[in-house]
Amino acid sequence: MTLSYKYSFLALTLILILCFFVNISLGSVYIPIKAVFNSLVGSATEQDAWQHIITNYRLPKALTAILVGSGLGISGLLMQTLFRNPLAGPFVLGISSGASLGVALIILGTGLFGGVFASLFISKWSVVIAASLGSFLVLIAVLVVSIKVRDTMAILIIGLMFASITAAIVSVLSYFGSAEQLQQYIFWGFGSLGNLSWYELFVFSVIFCLGILLSIISIKSLNTLLLGENYAISLGLNIKRSRLIIIAATSLLAGTITAFAGPIAFIGLAIPHITRQVFNTSNHKILLPAVFLFGAVVMLICDSIAQLPNSDYTLPINAITSLIGAPVVIWLLVRKRKMVF
Amino acid sequence: MKKAIFFLFTIFVFSCKNETAKPIAKPVDGHQLELKYAKGFSVTDYSTFKVLNIKNPWPDSEKSYRYVLINKENAAKTTFVKDEFDGIIINPIKKIVVTSTTHIPALELLNAEETLVGFPGTDFISSEKIRMRIDEGKIRELGKNESINTEVLLSLNPNVVIGFGIDGNNKTFETIKKSGIPVIYNGDWVEDSPLAKAEWIKFFGTLYHKEKEADSIFNTIEKNYLEAKKLAQTVKNKPTILSGAMHSDIWYLPNGTSTEAQLLKDANTNYLWQNSQGSGSLKLSFETVFTKAKDADIWINPSNYTSLKALENSSSHNTMFSAFINKNIYTITNTTGKTGGVLYYELGFARPDLVLKDLIKICHPELLKDYKPFFFKPLE
Repeated sequence: MTLSYKYSFLALTLILILCFFVNISLGSVYIPIKAVFNSLVGSATEQDAWQHIITNYRLPKALTAILVGSGLGISGLLMQTLFRNPLAGPFVLGISSGASLGVALIILGTGLFGGVFASLFISKWSVVIAASLGSFLVLIAVLVVSIKVRDTMAILIIGLMFASITAAIVSVLSYFGSAEQLQQYIFWGFGSLGNLSWYELFVFSVIFCLGILLSIISIKSLNTLLLGENYAISLGLNIKRSRLIIIAATSLLAGTITAFAGPIAFIGLAIPHITRQVFNTSNHKILLPAVFLFGAVVMLICDSIAQLPNSDYTLPINAITSLIGAPVVIWLLVRKRKMVF
Repeated sequence: MKKAIFFLFTIFVFSCKNETAKPIAKPVDGHQLELKYAKGFSVTDYSTFKVLNIKNPWPDSEKSYRYVLINKENAAKTTFVKDEFDGIIINPIKKIVVTSTTHIPALELLNAEETLVGFPGTDFISSEKIRMRIDEGKIRELGKNESINTEVLLSLNPNVVIGFGIDGNNKTFETIKKSGIPVIYNGDWVEDSPLAKAEWIKFFGTLYHKEKEADSIFNTIEKNYLEAKKLAQTVKNKPTILSGAMHSDIWYLPNGTSTEAQLLKDANTNYLWQNSQGSGSLKLSFETVFTKAKDADIWINPSNYTSLKALENSSSHNTMFSAFINKNIYTITNTTGKTGGVLYYELGFARPDLVLKDLIKICHPELLKDYKPFFFKPLE
């Protein structure tokens, strides 16, 4: 790692810490900085409500934002490299669609399947399990296909087709769902960072770490894959095994994130591009940690904006990620005039 | 030439005269149906026929609809300019299709339930009398409200379809209208007060020539409502109220001008957002709601959550409210009919007196000792 990268990473880390504290201190309710720090270190605040808001709402929300931003960014990076396609991302591969289908079955399926689903529906974990199962099943399907079809482009298209099929099933379920169920499904689609308890956050982070670990293991094969599959094979890379590990990492990251926070748009696709533009490299040793930091920072900023500081209102996080993020990518591309890939 | 000038002059004079005579030419003998609260419709009685005017079928609607209501005998003698009206309806109605459960109580209260021949989503209907008719196969299922099974509906050939619209775009209703079955948009849900919503029973009364019955039913409901309201004002203690629930990160709750808020006000409570305004529900952040309502005494209607466990599962933050800790949460979702329809959504509009009494019983239990709440149950 050259010196300039070290400085960049140091700067990004500092920005991340700053964004983290800004995110915690800003919200709909004005809480003085002193009270924020008091809550964080566990001493008493003027109002009981503040203590709860800081330690049980804003803190887990900020941590969730970091996990979601970095995890989606990394899964996007892995997909883009694996498929050597700048448009790839967890959404494109059908992983997020699989999760959506799982959730749709739980929420909207009660009308079709009755009792069994209705009893499951009551638990929040059922949504998490359904989303994970859904993305896992789509992943298995993609993997089975990837064994038969060697062409990564074909897999990408098959992923898109899976997304279409799941979308079609979701529409059928929506048609038969009741107004309340539809409402519930739509609310899930808005995405949510602030609804996790500490225990849920713990489970989330364990699976997240596993995904990150698999990604770190894949760094070498990712760099080799950039040279093209045939070249990678000639270099002695076990392409099937690497592909499996990369897809597993993506599925773990994107699947859990969608399960816990809902389908968050844009981040998975755009963060790797922003990072490549800024760092101007395709070395995954640099890209992977950079995407991690960038994803976390962008997500924290998006969440701070979604909270509309000092107003009573709040916006759905999913809208903000696209609204804020997409123009940034356009601006970067226009400025640099070409895509670094 | 002189003749020609005289002729032109005569025309001029007569045309002037016609101008001034226009207002007098308008039928003045129309008798307006008395409405105390409802603003969305009016009925003018011209003795041989009535004109029903629907003014506000959906929020901010610019269009109003006019229908002629006429009996068979007079219809044979009279002709109307078709373009002036949105439908000519022969009444009393023999066969009707309604599309919202809120229309059901009116039919039952007016003893007209036997005229109902079809409904979209019959499972939502809870009225025992009408459920019996559904079980006997006398009321056809019409599918989903947004896409009514047009063929079945046409085969039923009702005299009128009572629809409702979120806006003016409902293709199904257009198809029904084209096939000659008039569709009346019912705007009871747009009314801004509980009694105005209830007054729509008079609209149904007109369809059935049962204006007097409708009037006396409404008067009883109004009397009960106002008496209950008066009773509630006798106590000084105003419990603080939280309402709605959080979905994703957004807390949805009724604004201060909504009928829900008016009912809470009439029940002499301190609804924490009673001073807010606007259309639709409030969409607030958790932080705002928590700071304001952490210690609220009572939590009314936490959306469609059916148990304390479900509320806790949806978000652990819910458990931090005093109302949750003290189990002071009341919901309407657990009072359902045989096939799962929520009773409040069916009867709540028509019987605001019962809703108000329920709220008084919850908030001031000492006032209505022997009263058993009709819609609301504590969340368990």
